Amino acid sequence: MADPAVMAGGFSAIVGRSGCGKATSSPAENYQLARRRTLQVVVSSLLTECGFESAEKATVESLTEMIQSYISEVGRCAKAYCEHTARITPTLSDAVVTLNEMGFNVDTLPGYAKRSQRMVITAPPVTNAPVIPKALIAGQKRTHPSHIPSHFPEFPDPHTYIKTPTFREPVSDYQVVREKAASQRRDVERALTRFMAKTGETQSLFKDDVTAFPLIAERPSSIPYLSALLPSELELQTLEETDSSEQDDQTDSENTPVNNLNDDPGADKENSVLPAGGMVPLVKVSEENMIDNPYLRPVKKPKVRRKK
Amino acid sequence: MHEIKMNRKKDKGFESPRPFKLTHQVVCINNINFQRKSVIGFVELTIFPTVVNLNRIKLNSKQCRIYRVRVNDLEAPFIYNDPTLEVCHHESKQRNLNYFSSAYTAAVSAVDPDAGHGELVIKVPSELWKQGDEMNVLKVYIEFSLDQPKGGLHFVVPDVEGSMAERGAHVFSFGYQNSTRFWFPCVDSYSELCTWKLEFTVDASMVAVSCGDLVETVYTHDMRKKTFHYVLPIPTAASNISLSVGPFEILVDPYMHEVTHFCLPQLLPLLKHSMSYLHEIFEFYEEILTCRYPYSCFKTVFVDEAYVQVSSYASMSIFSTNLLHSALIIDQTPLTRQCLAQALAQQFFGCFISRMSWADEWVLKGISGYIYGLYLKKTFGVNQYRHWIKEELDKMVEYELKMGGVLLHPTFGGGKDKDNPTPHLHFSIKHPHTLSWKYYKMFQCKAHLVMRLIENRISMEFMLQVFNKLLSLASTASSQKYQSHMWSQMLVSTHSFLKSISNVSGKDIGPLIKQWVDQSAVVKFFGSFAFNRKRNVLELEIRQDYTSSGTQKYVGPIKVTVQELDGSFNHTLQIEENSLKHDIPCHSKSRRNKKKKIPLMNGEEVDMDLSAMDADSPLLWIRIDPDMSILRKVEFEQADFMWQYQLRSIFLRYERDVVAQEESILALEKFPTPASRLALTDILEQDQCFYKVRQGACFCLAKIANSMMSTWTGPPAMKSLFTRMFCCKSCPNIVKTNTFISFQSYFLQKTMPVAMAQLRDIQNLCPKDVLNFILDLIKYNDNRKNKFSDNYYRAELIDALTNSLTPAISISNEVRTVDNLNGDVRLILEEITRSLNMEKLLPSYRNTITVSCLRAIRMLQKNGHIPSDPSLFKSYAEYGHFVDVRVAALEAVVDYTRVDRSSVELQWLLNMVQNDPAHYVRHKILSMLGKNPPFTKAAESPLCNEALVDQLWKLMNSGTSHDWRLRCDAVNLYYTLFGLTRPSCLPLPELGLVLNLKEKKAVLNPTIKPEQGPDTTEMTGNTMGVHIPVMGFTSSLDEGLITMETVSSVSMSSGVAPPPQGLKRKLDSVVGPLGSSPPEPGQVLQEEDSSKKFKIRFNTMEEDEIDMESPHDSQAFIHHHLNILERPSTPGKEPPAVDQAVLSLPVTPLPSSFSKESTSSSKHSGHHHHHHEHKKKKKKKHKHKHKHKHESKDKERDSHAFSNSPASGRSVRSPSMSD
Repeated sequence: MADPAVMAGGFSAIVGRSGCGKATSSPAENYQLARRRTLQVVVSSLLTECGFESAEKATVESLTEMIQSYISEVGRCAKAYCEHTARITPTLSDAVVTLNEMGFNVDTLPGYAKRSQRMVITAPPVTNAPVIPKALIAGQKRTHPSHIPSHFPEFPDPHTYIKTPTFREPVSDYQVVREKAASQRRDVERALTRFMAKTGETQSLFKDDVTAFPLIAERPSSIPYLSALLPSELELQTLEETDSSEQDDQTDSENTPVNNLNDDPGADKENSVLPAGGMVPLVKVSEENMIDNPYLRPVKKPKVRRKK
Repeated sequence: MHEIKMNRKKDKGFESPRPFKLTHQVVCINNINFQRKSVIGFVELTIFPTVVNLNRIKLNSKQCRIYRVRVNDLEAPFIYNDPTLEVCHHESKQRNLNYFSSAYTAAVSAVDPDAGHGELVIKVPSELWKQGDEMNVLKVYIEFSLDQPKGGLHFVVPDVEGSMAERGAHVFSFGYQNSTRFWFPCVDSYSELCTWKLEFTVDASMVAVSCGDLVETVYTHDMRKKTFHYVLPIPTAASNISLSVGPFEILVDPYMHEVTHFCLPQLLPLLKHSMSYLHEIFEFYEEILTCRYPYSCFKTVFVDEAYVQVSSYASMSIFSTNLLHSALIIDQTPLTRQCLAQALAQQFFGCFISRMSWADEWVLKGISGYIYGLYLKKTFGVNQYRHWIKEELDKMVEYELKMGGVLLHPTFGGGKDKDNPTPHLHFSIKHPHTLSWKYYKMFQCKAHLVMRLIENRISMEFMLQVFNKLLSLASTASSQKYQSHMWSQMLVSTHSFLKSISNVSGKDIGPLIKQWVDQSAVVKFFGSFAFNRKRNVLELEIRQDYTSSGTQKYVGPIKVTVQELDGSFNHTLQIEENSLKHDIPCHSKSRRNKKKKIPLMNGEEVDMDLSAMDADSPLLWIRIDPDMSILRKVEFEQADFMWQYQLRSIFLRYERDVVAQEESILALEKFPTPASRLALTDILEQDQCFYKVRQGACFCLAKIANSMMSTWTGPPAMKSLFTRMFCCKSCPNIVKTNTFISFQSYFLQKTMPVAMAQLRDIQNLCPKDVLNFILDLIKYNDNRKNKFSDNYYRAELIDALTNSLTPAISISNEVRTVDNLNGDVRLILEEITRSLNMEKLLPSYRNTITVSCLRAIRMLQKNGHIPSDPSLFKSYAEYGHFVDVRVAALEAVVDYTRVDRSSVELQWLLNMVQNDPAHYVRHKILSMLGKNPPFTKAAESPLCNEALVDQLWKLMNSGTSHDWRLRCDAVNLYYTLFGLTRPSCLPLPELGLVLNLKEKKAVLNPTIKPEQGPDTTEMTGNTMGVHIPVMGFTSSLDEGLITMETVSSVSMSSGVAPPPQGLKRKLDSVVGPLGSSPPEPGQVLQEEDSSKKFKIRFNTMEEDEIDMESPHDSQAFIHHHLNILERPSTPGKEPPAVDQAVLSLPVTPLPSSFSKESTSSSKHSGHHHHHHEHKKKKKKKHKHKHKHKHESKDKERDSHAFSNSPASGRSVRSPSMSD
C-alpha cells in the first residue's frame, strides 16, 4: 500500500489525468491507465457491496477520484513521516500514524479486511512499469569520501555544485573601455530618443521623408523656467557622488528641489510655511534665533477696529 | 512755461518745474486679481503749493482708470489726456519718420514731468484757492484701477492647475526709465522726491515686496488676505518705486540679516547658492565709498519674464529668475555676480541719489558703471577689467562711428529744431523715452568710460572722495524733514558733480568734459612710423579723421609707449592742430647680439629671441594711447609688413597687458605667416595667459591657417595642441573625462573646437579630420565624474558642428531630400537630432543645447543641406518655452524672413510683437529684425509694400504706447526699413503740388522725385528681362499710374499700359479716403479703446477754456483737442518735410465733397483743419478757435520748445502757467 511505486503512480496519474480520455500509446500512460481502471473496479465493487445496482459514470468517476486522492494522501503523508525520522522507506508504523492522523481508526482495518462480502479484485494487468527517463548525467559523479558511509545518498551531478564562470575576463584597456562606454551611452540615447519619437508626436526636417531624423515634438510648458534652471536628478546624483563629503550644506540644498517636487505645496515644510501660513519657519527659528527680519515675523491679527 | 535749465552754467540750484512740492505719498493697492489681471487702489499725495492760487495740479498717469479725485476731501474735476497713446492722428498719408519723430517728441514733452507736465490735470476746487496764500498742505486723493495692464505691471500667470500661489503666479512692476505712472498716478520724475507709505493687500499665500521697510503684516478680517505695510522714510522719486507680489520663497541672507531674497517656488536651493556671494559685493562698495548702504534693508526678487535682467529701485532690485543657478554651473556664475554688482551700484547712484534732469543721467550711469568696474577689477582681476574696458570702448566706438555720436549731456536752448544737438539721429535724445534702446546702452557705456577718464585725470582717490561727498550730503539731507529744503541735495546734476570734482581735486577737468560730455563722437587715429637710423629717432605720424560721422577732433596729450631693447619708455605727445609728425628719440642703440634680457614696463626682465627683428632698429613695439585714456579708435599702420609682423609676434608673447595682447591678435590676422602661427600657438600653450586672450588666439589661428592653406604643414591647426592638453595620454583620439577644475582650461577646451571648425581646406570645406575630431569629442564626452555641468561645453561642440558647415553643392532649386544628403552632413544632423531629442528628456541648464541645435538647424537650412522651413522654429518660438530657446528660434525665423523674403513669416513676427505676453521677447523680435532686416531702405524687396508700412506705422504710432522701449524699437525698425523720408513703396500722394507756406508758392511735391528711381528699378529689376507679369506687379503699376495721372510732368518710365484692374484699384484708393466725409474729431473717438473711457461728472464752475460743464467723455474731449492741434500751425519751425502743408490738386473729377474740401483748404491755408470740425459741437468749435488764436499769439511771443507739437498737451494748459 505504501509502496513508493504505487505512490508515484498515483501522483503521476493525477498529473497525467488530463490525457486520460485520449488514445495514448506511451507505456507510462498505459501503466497509469491500468491502475486507474483497477481503482474503478474497486469503486464499483464497493458500490455493489453497499447494495447499489448501477451508478452513473460520472459518479463512479468522482468516487474514483476521491479514493485516488485518499490513497495518494496516505502515501504522501507516510513518506513524510518516514523522512522525518531520517529514513528513506516508510514502515508500517508510518502508515499507521498517517491513517490515525487522517482520522481513520486503524483498529477497524483488520475487521474490515476480513469481512465476508468482500469481493476479490483481480490484480491489475501486468503492464510494463514506466521507464523512468534517465536523468542527464553530466560529468562524473563523485564517490563518497571515506568518512561518509556508503548508505548516504550519492553526490548529485557535478554541475549542481561546481562553479563555472560564465563571463570573460574584464577588459582593462582604457581605450576600449572608453570606446564601449561611449558607444553604449550613444546606443542607449539613440534607442531612447527613437522610442520616444516613435511613440509620441514628432517634427520633421524633411518633407519627403518624415521618418528620417525625427525630432520629438516640442511641448510648451506652463512654467518653462523650472526645467531649464533646476539641475536634473542625474546631475544631482553626480554631484553627490563627486563631493558628498566636501560640502555638506551644498548637497543638502541640492536635495531640496527633489523634495519640493514631491511634496504637497500646502504641506508645512520649511520653505513654504511663511507664505502659506505666515508662521516663522521652524528650523530657522531654532538655528537663527537672532535674526530679526520683518518677513519672518508673524502676521498680525486684524485689529478689532479697522483702521482707515 | 517752465523750461528746465539744462544748461549746466545756469543751474545753480534745483528749481522745481511744478507750482507745488510733493512731500509724501501713500500708495495703497487693496486688491490684486491674478485671474483678471487687475489692480485696484488709491494714492494720496501730500503737496505744498509754492504759488499763490494753485488751481491746477498736473500728475502723471498712464493706462490707469481713475474713478475719483478728491483734494482735501472735496471732489475735484480732472482731465486725463495721454497724447502718447496715439502719436499722429489721421496722418494717413504722411508716413515719414521725420514727422513721426518730432510728433512723438512733442507728445512726450507735453506730458514730461521734468517740465512740470502730466497726463492727469486736476482742478483744485475753488474753495481751496484761498488757502494758497497760507501755503497749506493739499492732500490729493485718487482712486484708480488697472485692468490687464499692458505696461508698468506684468502679470505672470502660468496656465496650470491649482491656486494662484501653487501656480507660481506673480506680478511685478517694470519699465524703462521713469515708468511708474503706468501703475499708479504720481509725479513720475526722478527729481521729485518724497517719503512713502505703501500698502499692499494680497492673498495670504502671497508676499508683497516693495520699497522701504516692512513695518507690519496684518491679516484682513476674513483672514484670507494680508496687508503688507511699507514705510520709506528716505525721500525717493516715484520712478524708483516698485512692487512685486507672488508666492515667493523667502531667504534671509545668512551674512546680512537685513537683506532678504525672494524667488519663485521650488527655486530656493538655487537662490541660496546664487546669493551666497552678495555680502562681498556689499562690503566692497561700502568700503570704497566709505559709506554705509543708504537704506535700512535690501531685497532681491527674482521673477519670470523679466523686462530686463536687472532693475534697481529704492532698497530693492528685481532680477530675472534666469540668473539663478546651481553650484553645477560655471558660465552663469560670473554673469550673475556681475548683475548683482550692477544692481547694487545703482542702489547708491540711481536710487538713493537721483538726478535733477535727464541731461544729468550720465552722471548716475557713469558713477554706477564706474564703481561696478572697480568691483570687476577687484573680483575678476585686472585682466578682466581691462578686457572689459576695451570691449566697452570698442563697442561704443563702433556704434558712434556707424550711427553718429552719443551725447552724454545734451543741452537744449530755445527749443528750436535747429538746435537739435544730434541731427544725425532718427530719434530725439531730449527724453529718455524717445531714445533707441541701443543708443541708451551705448550712452551708459560711454558714461562709465568717461568717468574712468576723469579718474585718470584726478586719481581714483579723489574720485572716491567725490562720491563719498555726494553720498554723505545726500544722507544728511535724507534724514531732514521736508521743511528744511534739503532734499534737493539728494539730486545730482552735472553741475554739482563737476563742482565737487573741482572742490575735491582742485583740478580743472573742463576740457575733458567739453570734449566727451558736451560733445558727441569719438576720435579716430591713424598712426604710422618710421625709424630714422641716423638720428636714432622714431618718427611717429598720427593723423585723425574728424570729418566722417561720429568723429571729432582731438587736441591734447596722448601717451605713446615705445618698447625698446633697453626698456620700455612712455612719451606724452601733444596733439595739436597742425602737427602730425612727432619725433621720439630712442634710448637704446640697435644691437647685433641675438639674445638679451629686455626690461619691460612692469619691471620684469625677459629673455627674447631677437633674431627675427631688424638688426638696425632698437624698437620692439609701439603703442598709441595704451591706457585707453581717450575715447578713440586707433588704426596703427606700418609700412614694412615683415618688420611689423616680427614686432607683433614678439609683442604678443612678451607684452603683459591683455589689451595689447588682444590688439596684436587682431593685427596678426593680417599677417598669415609661420611666425604668427608660432606666436599664437605659444599663447595658447601658456596657462598664465589670460583665458580670453587665449580664446581670441584660437580664432585668430583659425583665420591664419585658412589664409596659409597652401603652405600649412602638419595636422590641422590646434588639433595636436588640443590633443596634448585635453586628450588621454594613452589614446590621443579620446578626450579625457571632464573635470573642469581649472576654469581656464575649461574655457579653452570649449573654444578650441569652435575655432577649429572654422578651418577650411582648398575646396573650402571643413577638413574631414577636423570634423571627425569634433564628432569624436561629442562621442567620447563623459561627464560622469565631473562636479560641474557640461551643458555649455556640449552646446559649444554643437556650435562647432555648425561652424563646420559649408554650402551644399547642388543644382539650384533642387528639392532637398534625405537621399541626397551629404555623408558628413548626415553625421552632423544625426548628432544634432540626438542632442535635441535628449534635451526633451534631460533638459540642460538654460536649455543651452537646444539653443545651439536650433542655430545648427538653421545653418543647415541656410546652406541648403535640408529644406528651408521655418515651422520648426516657429513652434519653438511659441510662448511656453524657455526664453533663450524662444529667442534662438525667433532669430532663425527672422533670418528665414530675410533670406526667403517671406511675408507670411514677417507677419507672424509682427503679430507676436503685438501679442506676446513676454515684453522681453517682443523687444527682442524688433531688435533682431532691426539687426537682420528683411530688407533695407537701400534695396528693393517684394516685402516692402504699403500694408507693411501701415502696419509698422500703426505699431509705433499707437500699438506700442504701453512700452517706451518697444515703441523706440519699432521706430528703429521703421528707420532701418524705410529711412527717414516717405517709404518708397508707398503710392505717391494724390497731391502733385504742394504749397510751401513759408515761401508762399506752389511747387512740385518733392517726395515724388526720389520715388521715381526706385519704382523703375523695381519694375525692371524684378522681372529679369522677362516681360512684366501683370498680376504680380499691380502694386507697382498702381504707383506708376498714379504718378502718371496726377503729375503730368512725370513720365511713365516703365512704358507698360496700365492693366484695367490696376486702374480700378487706383481709383478706389484715391476716392476712398478723400471721397468720404472729411475726418471728424468725433469719429476717431469711437475707435478708442472703450476701456479707457469713463464718465466724469464735473462740478459746475467757471472755466476759461475747458468745457467742464456737462458730463462728457474726457477721452473724447482730449482727442478733440488734439485733432485740432494735430497739424503744426506755425510754419518755418519744422523739418522741411513737415512744414509744407500738402494741398490737393484734383486731376480727375472727384466727388463734390472732395473739391469742396480742397477749395476750402486752399482758402484757409494755415488753419484748414478747422473745417474738419464736427457740426454738432458748435459751442466747442467756438472755444477751440479762441484757443487756437491764443496759441498762435503765444507762439509769436516766445518761440517755444514744444510749439511744433502736433499732439501737444497744451490744450489743457492754463494761460497763467505758461507765463
